Amino acid sequence: MRNLIRTELFKIFRQRKTFYAIAAVFVLEAFIMVSAYYQGKEFLDVFLDNLRESFEFQGNLLNGNLIIYLVLNAFWFHIPLILMIVVSGFLTSEYKDRTVEAVLLQTVSKRQFILSKYIAALVFTAFILIVLILSTFAFSYLLFGKGDLVVFLDGLSFFDSAEALERLLLAFLVGSITMFFYATVSITLGVLFQEATITWIIAALFLIGTTLVLRLEFDSDLVNLLFFPKLTDNWQYVFFAEIPYGVIVKKNAVLIVYTLVFGVLGMRVFEKRDIT
Amino acid sequence: MILSAGDVCKSYDSLKVLKGVSLELHKGEICGLIGPNGAGKSTLFRILLGLVSRDSGSLQIHSESSKPLGGIIEKPALYGYLSALENLRVFARIQGLELTKAELENELLQVGLSPDRTDPVRNYSMGMKQRLGLAIALLNDPECVVLDEPFSGLDPIGIRTLQDEIRTLAGSRGIGILISSHNLVELGDLCDRLYVINQGEIIRHGPAREILQQAAKSYLIYGTGLKASKTLASADVEFRTGSALLHLEGPNIHQVLQHLTSEPGITLTACVPQTNLAALFEKTPG
Repeated sequence: MRNLIRTELFKIFRQRKTFYAIAAVFVLEAFIMVSAYYQGKEFLDVFLDNLRESFEFQGNLLNGNLIIYLVLNAFWFHIPLILMIVVSGFLTSEYKDRTVEAVLLQTVSKRQFILSKYIAALVFTAFILIVLILSTFAFSYLLFGKGDLVVFLDGLSFFDSAEALERLLLAFLVGSITMFFYATVSITLGVLFQEATITWIIAALFLIGTTLVLRLEFDSDLVNLLFFPKLTDNWQYVFFAEIPYGVIVKKNAVLIVYTLVFGVLGMRVFEKRDIT
Repeated sequence: MILSAGDVCKSYDSLKVLKGVSLELHKGEICGLIGPNGAGKSTLFRILLGLVSRDSGSLQIHSESSKPLGGIIEKPALYGYLSALENLRVFARIQGLELTKAELENELLQVGLSPDRTDPVRNYSMGMKQRLGLAIALLNDPECVVLDEPFSGLDPIGIRTLQDEIRTLAGSRGIGILISSHNLVELGDLCDRLYVINQGEIIRHGPAREILQQAAKSYLIYGTGLKASKTLASADVEFRTGSALLHLEGPNIHQVLQHLTSEPGITLTACVPQTNLAALFEKTPG
C-alpha cells in the first residue's frame, strides 16, 4: 500500500497539470490579496466610520491579519474549484489513458488502487493547503504588516495581533477539513462519471450548489447540523467573540462522517464495477 | 495446464457477449483466439484477467506465482508523460518490486528497447509501446501472458519482431501465451492451437495446422508451365501471371502437388493456402 501511495504521488508531481494547478493557486491568491486590500478598505470605511466618533483606534486596521481573514473568505470557493478539477483528474486521466486497466493487470487489487487514489488526493490537498497557508501569511505580513484584527460576524469583534494569528491558523485548520471533504468527493465523482469533462461539470455543479445552499437559512437545527452544505463554513465560528468549540467539533465530526461516506461509496462502486 | 475457463457466460443487458465459452492453455504453449470484430475476444480476455466479472462459468488458474497472469488488452496503456524506464519502475513498484536501475534496463533490453531513451513514451511508435507493454506484462514473472490484438497498428517488421519475441517467451521461458487477433495470417504460423470464436461462441478449436487446413479453400501455386498442366486442366483454377489460383475443397492439395511435380515442363516454386475467413467464422451445423 505504501508503494502504491508513493507511486501515486510520484505520478502526480510528474504531470504538468499539477504545476499548472499550483501556479493557478498562486495567481488566484495574488488576485484575492489585491481585491482583499480594496475590500478591506471599504469594510473599514463602512463599519468603523460611526465608531470612530465614539472610539479611538490605534494602529492601522488594514493590516496583514485583516487581509488574511478576507483571503480566507474568498478561498473556500475558488480553491476547492481548482482542487476538485485537479484531484478528479487523478482518476479520470487514468480512465482516459486506460492505465487504470494496466495497473489492475498487475498484482494490485481494486481496493488497494482506489484507496491509494483517495489517500494521494488527501496528501496533495494537504500539500496545497500548506503552500497556501505559508504563502498567504508570508505575503500578507510582508506587504501589510501585523496589527489588530476587526471582523463582523455575530457582531463587531476585535482581536489583538497575537490572538488574531491564533484564530486565523485555527480557521485554516478547520477549513482544511472542508477541503479534504471536497477532495474526497472529487475522487468519488471521478469513479462515478469516469469521463474528465463530465466529472468537472458535475464537480463544479456540486461546489456551486453547496455554496448556494450554504447561504440559505434553515430554521431547523437538525438540518443545519446534518445537511452537509451547511457544514462547509465551520471555520467562521473561529471568529465569534466566544469560540463555540462544541459546535465546531460537532459539525466537523458530521463533515468527516460525510467524507467517509463519500469515500466508501466511491470505493464500493469502483470495486463492483467492471473495467471495460 | 495453467489456465482453464469453462462455460463462461457474460451479458451486457440483453446482449449476450459470451455464450458458454471454454478454453484451456498449457505451459509453454502459444494458443490463438481468432474471431471477427465484436466476436467477444476482448470481453473473454478481460474476464480471464479479472477486469470484468463473469455471469456464470468457471475459471481456474493453476499457478503458484504471485502474478499468475500478465497481459495487454488492445493497445498497451502507459503513462505517456513518463519515460520507458519510469513506466517500468512505476508498474514494478506498485506490485512491491523494487528493481534496481540495472535490472530495469535489463528488462527493457530483453524486449528490444534502448534504456538510453529518456523522453516520454508518448513519443514512441506503436511497436515500441507494444514492446514496453510486454515488458510490463512480464514483470513479476507470470506463468501465462494474455495478449489481446497485440499486432494491431504494427507494420510488417513490427509484427515479425513481436512474433519472434512471443516465440522466445513460450520456448525458452515456458510461458503459456494466449493471443487474440482477427487476422489469421498473424496467428497462423505462430500458434500451436487455435480457438475460433464468433458471436460469443467457440465454433471450432484444435491444432492450428488443422484449423488452417479447414479454412484453406484455395491455394495460390507459383511456378512455370502451369497453364500447360494436365492436372490443372480439369480443376477449378484461375491462371495468373506466374501463378494459378486453385479452388479446392478438403485436404487433397498434397495429391495435386504430387501430380504437378511429376508432370514434365512444370517447376513449382511455392504453394500458399488462401484461407476463407467467412467459412472459418461460420458456425458448423450441429
